[in-house]
Formats: sequence, C-alpha cells, structure tokens
Amino acid sequence: MTNAIALLGQPNSGKSTVYNGLTGSRQHVGNWPGKTVEKNEGYYTYNGTRYTVTDLPGSYGLSGNSDEEVITADFISSGQADLVCILVDASQLERSMYMTAEFAALDKPAVLLLNMMDVAKAQNKEIDHRLLEKRLGIPVMPFTAAESTGYEALKALLAKELQNPHKLASAPQLKEQKGFSSETVQAESEAKYRWISEMLENVTHTSAGSYELSRRDRILLSPVLGKFACFGTILAGFLAAMLICMPLMGAGSMIPQLLNKPIADLLNGLNVHPWLVSIFSIILPNTLYFCIAMAGFVFGVNLVFGYLEEIGFLARAAYQFDSLLSGLGLQGKAICPILMGFGCTIGGTCGTRVMDNWGQRMLTMAVVWAVPCASIWTIIPVISTMFFTPLQTMLVILGILLYVVVLMIVVSKVFGPKLVPQNSRSGMIMELPPYHKPHWKHIAKEALLKAWDIFRRALRTVSLISLLFWAFSYSGTGNVADSLLYKVGTAIEPVTRIFGLGWRTFMGFISSAFAKEAVLGVLNAAFVGDGTVLDATFRSAFNVATDNAVLGQAMTSAVSRPEALAFMCACTFNIPCVMALSTTYRESHSLKWTAGIASFYVCGALVLSCAVYHITSLFL
Amino acid sequence: MRLTETKADQYGTIRNISGDTHFMNRITSIGITEGTPFQTVRNDRKMPVLVYLRETLIALNRNDAERIEVETE
Repeated sequence: MTNAIALLGQPNSGKSTVYNGLTGSRQHVGNWPGKTVEKNEGYYTYNGTRYTVTDLPGSYGLSGNSDEEVITADFISSGQADLVCILVDASQLERSMYMTAEFAALDKPAVLLLNMMDVAKAQNKEIDHRLLEKRLGIPVMPFTAAESTGYEALKALLAKELQNPHKLASAPQLKEQKGFSSETVQAESEAKYRWISEMLENVTHTSAGSYELSRRDRILLSPVLGKFACFGTILAGFLAAMLICMPLMGAGSMIPQLLNKPIADLLNGLNVHPWLVSIFSIILPNTLYFCIAMAGFVFGVNLVFGYLEEIGFLARAAYQFDSLLSGLGLQGKAICPILMGFGCTIGGTCGTRVMDNWGQRMLTMAVVWAVPCASIWTIIPVISTMFFTPLQTMLVILGILLYVVVLMIVVSKVFGPKLVPQNSRSGMIMELPPYHKPHWKHIAKEALLKAWDIFRRALRTVSLISLLFWAFSYSGTGNVADSLLYKVGTAIEPVTRIFGLGWRTFMGFISSAFAKEAVLGVLNAAFVGDGTVLDATFRSAFNVATDNAVLGQAMTSAVSRPEALAFMCACTFNIPCVMALSTTYRESHSLKWTAGIASFYVCGALVLSCAVYHITSLFL
Repeated sequence: MRLTETKADQYGTIRNISGDTHFMNRITSIGITEGTPFQTVRNDRKMPVLVYLRETLIALNRNDAERIEVETE
C-alpha cells in the first residue's frame, strides 16, 4: 500500500491551497520526466501512516490540449495514484464539475471536494451534497480550503477511502465515434454537460440570472481607466511589499557591520591566513545578509501578490494587459512581474509564480531581467551627470527606457519560440473569479514557507558566486593592482576596448553583474584608488561612502564620453545581480535556462556597449 | 451574428462554434458549448469580450470570439 493521493482540479479551484494545507513544508518540486512542467510532490503523516500527495498541474479539462493535460491524464490512467481527490468550486458547481465529467472516463477511485463553500454560502447557494454523493457513488465533502479547521476531517476521509475506495457510479454516456473531429468534441462535451445537469438536478439551483458588474469591476475592467487603476494597484502593492520587507532587510544589513570586525580580529589573533580571514569576515556575513535580503523580498512580494491573487485582482490585470503582452508571447498576467521589475528584479522574478505553466514562467523571468531595477536608477544619473548636462542626462534615461522595450521584444523573440512554442500560444480564455475575501493566515503562511525555502536554497548559490568574485578581486596588499581582476583586466583590455570599455570600466561592468549597488564603489576603488574593490563590492550595499565629486573628476579625466555612455548601457542591461540570478535559478529549477539567459544578457550588454561606443564616437 | 458583434448587457444563446479540435476542447472545457445561454457583460474595442455564462464571468480574446456564432434575444 503506497497511499498515493493525487489532487485534480481546474484553475481557481483552490487546489494548491489544499496541497499546502495537507503537506505544509514537506514538499518537493521537480519536473515531470521529459517535460518542462513543474511536478509538486509532498507528504503528510496521519495516525502514524505516511501519505504522499501529488499536486497535478491545473487545467480546465483532460482532453490533451497541453502538456499539463497529457501529464495529468497519463498519471491518473497509469494508476500511480491510489486515490484522486477532485476539487470543484462550489460557487460555480455546474461549470467546475466538467473536470469530474472528464475524469469519469478514466474510471479510478476518487473523492469529490466541494471547495469554496464559504463563497457559495455568501452567495446563498444551497448544495445537497448527500444527494450528489448518492448519485456519484463517491464521497462528497463540503470544504473551505483556506480555513485550517477542515483538514483533520479531510485526512480521515482520505485514509478511509484508501482502505475502501469507491469509483464513480455514473459517467457521461459518450457515443462510440470514429475519428476525432471538432464535431465529436462538441458532441462529447455536450454529453458531459448533460450528465452534469443530471447529477446536479435538485442538488443545487443554477441561477440563470443576469450579471451586473460590481462597482470595483466597472472601474477595473474599463478600457482606459482600468489600465491606470491596475497600474496603480500593482505599484501600491509593490510599495507595500517593500514596506513589509524593509525591517527584515535592515536587520540583515546589520550582520556584516556587526560581524566583520569581531571575526577579523578573532581570526587575525589566531594567526590565520589573510585569505581565510577575508572569506570569513567579509564573504560569509555578506552572503548571510544577501540571503536574508532575498528572503525578505520573497516574503513581501508573496504576501502582497498572494493577497492580490486570492481576492481576484490578478485576473482583472491579466484581462487588461492581455492584448499588449500577447505580442511578446506572454500572458496578460505577466504585467505584474514586469512592473515589479522596475522596483526589484528579485521581486519580479518571484512574482512570476502567478503564471500558468513553466514555459510562460521562464519566459516572463527572462523578460523581467530586461527591466532596469531601482538600483540602476540610483547609479545612472550619478554617472551620467559627471559627463553630461542635466538635459543630456534626461536623454540618456529616455534612451535606456526605449531600449528596455526593444530588449523585451528581442528576448521574447529569442527565447519565446522554445519556451512557449507557437502552437501552444492561444488567446486568452480565462475565468474572472468573483472577488473573494482574503484568508490572511493562509496567505502569510504560504509567504513564510516560500521565503524560508528561498533562504535555505540561496545560501549555497550566493556563497559560491561570492567566493568566485572574491577570488578575482582579492588583493593581499589592498592595492587594486595586486588583484587577479586587475591582472586579467589589463591583460584583456585590448579586447574590452572593442566593446568600448577600458579595464576599469570593464571592472565596473563585471561588478554590475554582482550587485548594481556595487558599481559606484568599484569605480571609486579603480579610479580614485580609495579602498579595495573587494570592500567596495561587499560593503557598498550599506555604506556608500563614495565622494561623487572626486570620483567624477577622476573619471572624466580618464574616460571619454562615448566610453561613459557605453559603460552605462553595459551596466544597465547586464545580468541584474547575483541575487536575481540565484532567485531565477531557484524559481525555475533549471540551471540550463538560467545560465543560457544569463549568457544572453552578458553578451547582449557587451554588443550594445560596443555599438553605442563606436557610433557615439563619430559624434562626441 | 458573431459574439464580437454583441453589445454589453445583450442576452443570447451560443449557436455555432467553429475551429479545430484543440480550440474546441479549450472552449468547451471552460463551459462554452452550443445551446448555452449567455450575457455579454462588456465588449470594448481591442479588449477580450466579457461574457457571463454557467454562473461564470469569462474573458475571451477577440480572435476566438469571432468564431462563435450567437443568437441574441
């Protein structure tokens, strides 16, 4: 007896809520063999017995329209699940029972969960679940997934059914038909809905009443005003997420300050090699800080966007921006992560969790990388005004914004065909769920789980990359000229010159892949010789003691205006930062794609810098 | 008449849907089948059509909505 349970349901049926409610943090995310579809598996113990739960990919049916549907149908018909728990939305019972009608053909043991009973009750919908149970021949349980009270009863029911399983006693009468045509599909689905009406007769009353948009929807769904309202809401959501994670990030930023000196003193006292001292006193505390900062972002973003998704806002935003984004091969929902990217790429990257499938998700992450984050907007004006007048600086910023649009299109053209194949692209056919009241406890719990997960996993990636950077920028004497970066940088300067960058600006470019905040500090170390590159990179996040006037003087005398322009472009469109890189890897579970997209961005930034340098050299 | 030609707050019945099996599966699994009564909730230029049927508010992109023939009351 393996006690394998599978969860089956349409989007918006609350499937993932039930999955999280059952398994808590005992989850594993992987991929379905040979497919780029996420496989979620978890387990729980009940009365000393272990039960595994597979969260099957969400889809509206099982007819093989997509990878998700094929996987789901194959998984169930192969008998890998001992029991299938079907979820339906009690507030839209007729339509959401369609999945049950499709499932009937597979003839496997099941239970039916009437989820969202709270919403159905609020709409004064009565459901005679006993009568439905009698007709279907499988247990039917009214449920509210977002309330923690019902789970004991659910676990008891699942345990009982695994001992003594039931199959559907009734199934849609489908005529044996030869061939597979649109007419067949039409006839079969009509038979399925007929079966559903038979099953639901006297069970519930499906009102055919008219629909009136709520006041909120009249604004959110209107063509022009609605776009502004959605835009504003997402912006407010992002600010709220920042406010939530600020205290955590503030506390995290204390770590390097507090730990650096004591650790260094202690190790120096023990006569440890300076290499190790710098690893333990600088790299380690900073890695910890970076990971806490990441977890803070992930928590804030998941909290706010979990809320916006649960109340039903995200579906409205998707409706508003669908026609715009379908040009990029993206779904309308991608608007949220993309806008959030202007604040922070990490936030945007984990905001992609609202996308429907892995390919869409990965493509959205790749596009989000093109959006310059808030840190870039703090360094570009500083550097630009060293070389240009305020008016010219405005033009630089405008140029960057225009290139963002170009880059997004290029990224979607390069990665789109592979991630979201043309034949899988289809226009929006989506349900706009009724507004729900948020279940805060549940949202907070999921956000915490997600943040903890990222923190745990990021420690390894971030320390690895930090060590790599450390090896390059470490200098025994504290002089830039003694670091590997300098030696390599000056050695390859003839090559970097092709891209318009001298060894010092190239060093700045490299550091911009690490953290955008580091750029000014590194330039300072390289041009003014003030402090080591290592210190500049790792401490800049909380202590930018750069004197911009001095740096400006040093830079303008050593760097030409075309080089400055090339450098700004290269930095802006480089890899966002090591934390975003790590988040992308953690969220996508694909090293191959993360590395591929990262290389694309590095190369793209250099090509752009090369073009900008050589073209502007003709005029400036 | 096509679904894209209906106006907000018009009621009707889905009469004919044409498309390949892939489209047919998608559209029927969300609840749009021939004979289903519906109400158009919004139909704005360049925006997906919003229809209400089977107690559900559905956003349907214009290309696909073009392929749906309806009869209005």
